[in-house]
Amino acid sequence: MLRITALVAMAAGLAAAEAPRKLPYVYTKWKHFTVAEGLPNDHIFAVKADGSRVWVGTENGLALIDSRTGKVRSWTEKDGLPWRVVTGIDIDPKTGDVWLALFGGGLARFSGGRFDHWHQLNSGLVNDVVYGVAVENDNVWAATTAGASRYNLRTGEWTIFTEKNAPMEEIWNYGVHYGDGKVHLAVWGSGVLEYDVATGRWKDYLDPDGEMEIDLYRDDGIIHVITTAAHYVEKTLWVSSYFGVCRYDGRNWRGFFNQDSGLPSDFNNNLKARSANEAWFATDKGVGAVVDVATNTWVAYTRDPKGKSGKAVVTRDKEVLETVEMETGIPHNYIIALDIQGSDVWVGTSKGLGWGVGEGYYPGLKERPPVVARERGDRP
Amino acid sequence: MKLLACLLAAGLLPLGAAPKKPVYVGARVCGSCHAGKGMGNQYSRWLHSRHAMAYAALAKPEAAQIATISGLRQKPQEAPICLGCHATAFDVEEWQKDDTFHMEDGVQCEMCHGPGSEYMTESVMRNREEAMKAGLRIPTQDDCMNCHIEKGSHVAVLHTPLVDIRKAWAAIAHPTPENAKPGAIPKAKVEARPGPRYIGSAACGKCHRGEAGGHQWSLWRMGPHARAWAVLSTASGFQQAAKRGVEDQFSDPRCLKCHATGFLEGAAARTETATIDEGVGCESCHGPGSEYAVEAVMRDRPAARAAGLAKSPRQACAACHQGAKFNLQEALRKIAHPTRPAAPVDGAAHVRYKTPLNLAMRPGGREIYVACEASDSVVVVDPARKIRVAEIAVGGNPADVAFSPDGRLAFVSNRHDDTVSVIDAAARKVVRTLEVHDEPHGVLTDREGRLLYVLNTSSDDIWVFSLPRLERVKSLSAGRGPWSLALSPGGEHLLVTNMYANFAFRAPFDAEATLIETGRGAVEERFKVPGANLMMGVDWHPSGKFALTTLNRTKTLVPMTRLLQGWTITNGLGVVWRDGRVDEVLLDEPNLGFADATDVAITGDGRHALVTSSGTDRVAVVDIGRLLAVLERATPRERERVLPNHLGMQAEFVVKHIATGASPRGVLVPPAGRWAYVANSLDDSLTVIDLVRMEASGRIDLGGPKTVTRGRFGERLFHSADITFRKQYSCHSCHPDGHVDGLSYDIEADGIGFNPVDNRTLRGILDTAPFKWAGTNPSLQRQCGARLAMFFTRLLPFTPEQLSAIDYYITTILRPPNRYRALGARLTPAQRRGKLLFERATTNDGRTIPAGNRCITCHFPPYYTNRKVFDVGTRHPLDRMSKLDVPHLNNIYDSAPYLHNGMAPTLEEIWTVHNPDDLHGQTNDMTKDQLNELIEYLKTL
Repeated sequence: MLRITALVAMAAGLAAAEAPRKLPYVYTKWKHFTVAEGLPNDHIFAVKADGSRVWVGTENGLALIDSRTGKVRSWTEKDGLPWRVVTGIDIDPKTGDVWLALFGGGLARFSGGRFDHWHQLNSGLVNDVVYGVAVENDNVWAATTAGASRYNLRTGEWTIFTEKNAPMEEIWNYGVHYGDGKVHLAVWGSGVLEYDVATGRWKDYLDPDGEMEIDLYRDDGIIHVITTAAHYVEKTLWVSSYFGVCRYDGRNWRGFFNQDSGLPSDFNNNLKARSANEAWFATDKGVGAVVDVATNTWVAYTRDPKGKSGKAVVTRDKEVLETVEMETGIPHNYIIALDIQGSDVWVGTSKGLGWGVGEGYYPGLKERPPVVARERGDRP
Repeated sequence: MKLLACLLAAGLLPLGAAPKKPVYVGARVCGSCHAGKGMGNQYSRWLHSRHAMAYAALAKPEAAQIATISGLRQKPQEAPICLGCHATAFDVEEWQKDDTFHMEDGVQCEMCHGPGSEYMTESVMRNREEAMKAGLRIPTQDDCMNCHIEKGSHVAVLHTPLVDIRKAWAAIAHPTPENAKPGAIPKAKVEARPGPRYIGSAACGKCHRGEAGGHQWSLWRMGPHARAWAVLSTASGFQQAAKRGVEDQFSDPRCLKCHATGFLEGAAARTETATIDEGVGCESCHGPGSEYAVEAVMRDRPAARAAGLAKSPRQACAACHQGAKFNLQEALRKIAHPTRPAAPVDGAAHVRYKTPLNLAMRPGGREIYVACEASDSVVVVDPARKIRVAEIAVGGNPADVAFSPDGRLAFVSNRHDDTVSVIDAAARKVVRTLEVHDEPHGVLTDREGRLLYVLNTSSDDIWVFSLPRLERVKSLSAGRGPWSLALSPGGEHLLVTNMYANFAFRAPFDAEATLIETGRGAVEERFKVPGANLMMGVDWHPSGKFALTTLNRTKTLVPMTRLLQGWTITNGLGVVWRDGRVDEVLLDEPNLGFADATDVAITGDGRHALVTSSGTDRVAVVDIGRLLAVLERATPRERERVLPNHLGMQAEFVVKHIATGASPRGVLVPPAGRWAYVANSLDDSLTVIDLVRMEASGRIDLGGPKTVTRGRFGERLFHSADITFRKQYSCHSCHPDGHVDGLSYDIEADGIGFNPVDNRTLRGILDTAPFKWAGTNPSLQRQCGARLAMFFTRLLPFTPEQLSAIDYYITTILRPPNRYRALGARLTPAQRRGKLLFERATTNDGRTIPAGNRCITCHFPPYYTNRKVFDVGTRHPLDRMSKLDVPHLNNIYDSAPYLHNGMAPTLEEIWTVHNPDDLHGQTNDMTKDQLNELIEYLKTL
């Protein structure tokens, strides 16, 4: 089923390729969800796992996949979804309520089968073009094209954050994420803004070199002020942009580019961090996952544009360690959304949703021969 | 300095900037220039006026009566509604008051002229234009009328005539003489004398105030002693001075020895807080207080005496009150200021009923706890002996009660206080009080006693607490007005009823039954109940296949006057199936309504359900087997369209009606046993029902008063359907517990859909006349008399006696305290900015907003209405009227939808959708964050 050609660029030749070496886990089993499988639309804008349930935001509706049964349910405007385009999803961990960012339609809550709708006319939401949503304790944050809004579920108070009261040089908010006491906003033209929930203070991360087209000085800070997503995991901030991606561990910045890493493209729409050591990036040329920061080890997942097959390329710096070819790859190379569900990963593309099943997943690197999958029959 | 520091702390000033926000400085600061002949004695004339006593007057027993009929539970001196007209700057933050300002000085200069810090200097005040630029306001008679407009509450108690504002204006006129020469109130000397010094009555008043202190300070302030200095400036004062050859009575010791405190001892005998303008203060009789006016000393009488507290204060009287006409005993009686509070003037107003609402049996079956709304208590009943055995004080307006599964704890929701009292059932004592959200009602634990659920009916959420730690762990979104909840037989689910229908403007609506999965403590499903509102009671059938809920089916799309066709409000049951299907049936008979179906309980064998009708004082016994048979034999279309509206179908499954006491609310059917119990809310009793014979078998007296006051009589009328044609509904049906049902109605027979009007709350409405959205009903008597009969009940109107009683009761319906701001509490930064917007006079780009288009002009405190009618551009194509009553804004957050016809589901939409031409205030120049801030402030009113 699986055809593996381990292309190891080593002077030792093929025999050396069989020798165990530290390699990452590679997702080789991909399932696709499209309109044919029950999604309301193939343009996947958001994906969010909640236990065994996976919520999917599309250009024309919301879907729910039960990953245990594979059963798909969907909601469009005729089913009460307040707006057709769902660009962001977050789950309230306490109540299980699903919060939806609606591109042009504001914000919605899906709770017990009921949609509640907030927009700029019936509420204090600053703008109806909402890219992302994040639940922070009793607050819901919305990243909009005219600033960020925070809705306090306890008091009903709406607070707007713009250039007036936050270090927001531009107000076009692309992404919002809450983790470990901090809210991070990815802002087009204003880098990443960090809001400390405990103190109510803002901190901004801007590109120190101030250059638009180039990252003049490596690892001096965020690589570019036009950011698309920020995730804060294990005290580590991961940032994606249209000019590469970067990581900040609280002391040091590190940038990753297509030219010196396994990142498939510098044009990144989104990211999902699994840990301080592993993050997945949604690019216009496939999925890039840095799986070991110290060694700059990446796995890039792409699909053959002419067919269903795909491949995973394992690299260290720019050295290709392994290429795994698969009969079924990710659904499309234009990636918009990502999420991680335990060992599994979900990839939202411009033509369908991909589910990478992570049987035997392990984090980081593990001593294994590049061709070990051949011995197991279906897995590297 | 304090002002600057506070402003900086409040975030209103950048560092280095000069203070620009005006603060209140107090009348005495004004008096520092405006005293004396050269200024026309303006200060002393004020001090001698009733304005200066306005705060103190709130200590009168009559003020408590007025508060009662204004729906207030707070003491008048602590109630924003009262302080709005009886004090200055009642709604400002602490930093907006300088140390020299004292709210106790009543209606002061700055009430009319605005906070004085920015214009008070002599150099500014000598130029009227400059002073006005700096904030000086010159009030008009209209401004005065914002407070002096006739108030029903004051007329009812004080029988006050209409204020003739022209006469009143003349009476308080205080013109500045042409050759004005600022005077001054003599000040204390910096070099103090040794020994006791005078500290002023305000210092005494810090302790000797309030009901617990017999309102001693207020009694003094209202008495002639407090005006002894000020009286010197009256015509009589001048006459007396002339008679005695005194040239300046304000400095002559012959006058001031008896018209001021400690004058003869000189300025060195006074501390800075003691000024002679307070007249004959406490220390005139009790001696200078600097050494004894400490609580620890005052509580030790010998120590206080040793520190200078006069032993025989009466002796001081003789020093000034000489002459044969003076009767010491009579004078002492007049100025008596005992520590013991005065007896209430109207004894009836203080009769304390129980008003039992809901009840629960303690596991084990030996006790029933009854939540009694009016007595702020839980009455404990021994069901075996059928007697009341104890009463436990809890929080304000307890509504519901539940036990932990082990029976050790009881939880009582206190609707007025926003708390849950946790009672140790063995000790019969409140051991903890949980803060919850707005107006908690239903309360219940899961079967394992792992989580406690509290339904906050006014904030539309369900708070979940972990047990036994009683920590809040989450808040679930409910429907509108979550009310009651019941645990499924297996314990896997809770079903929550929601009082209010989901809003839909001039369209069919539905209500929600919320299903909670107890394992996750999360909402699993929300069932829509078409056409229903006021879903209140709920109980699960032992099979677990369905639950029954009570409900009303209110027809708001057709005129209320269609009462004769039974087309207004019908009452019945919802059958909520576990799979989400919902059936509805009516309990009304064609000729007799089952008004206000309130609670339901199913017998342990699952054969019968008992349903209370608080409007007709009955319990319906439903044969559940027959009910299910009716449903099963009906077609799907009949179940959807016919049965929910069928007035004759109840004969198929209601097997009996059992008479109860007045206004039955909660019903308790223990899982085993022969007896059921019904809480008769308006005669303070339980009706015991024999479940074998299905008949009332006894009454348990909960110990309430036996007299029926006018208020109680009115309360019964309000909750009784006797007034409506075929007893279809009561006042309570549209105004549950005196509030709103969240619907808008088509009332008059002027064509279907014409002139829809939003339902308005009855909480604390007496002083907001006129009534109706058109503002055409000047009084409650008219509203509840002829108008009620004509448009709502289609029966003979209330008799005069009934009308008087029901109107009185309506005035006493409690207005809950504001949930967003307690009196004097700091505003949040957003609220603070919103307040500036509410009061602003210029647009963002500096244009002047005409006075008539400023929020504060029409929505003037304390009710935030000027009680007039205006066209704010909200006329709907189906409306007949353009000019609308200015609604009061108190607690505006809890009475959605908004505008006269309820077309604005949220406050935001009033301006984002319905104010395109800035006719409803100047708002279109506001940014989105400004509008948010304005709304944050509105919620604090």
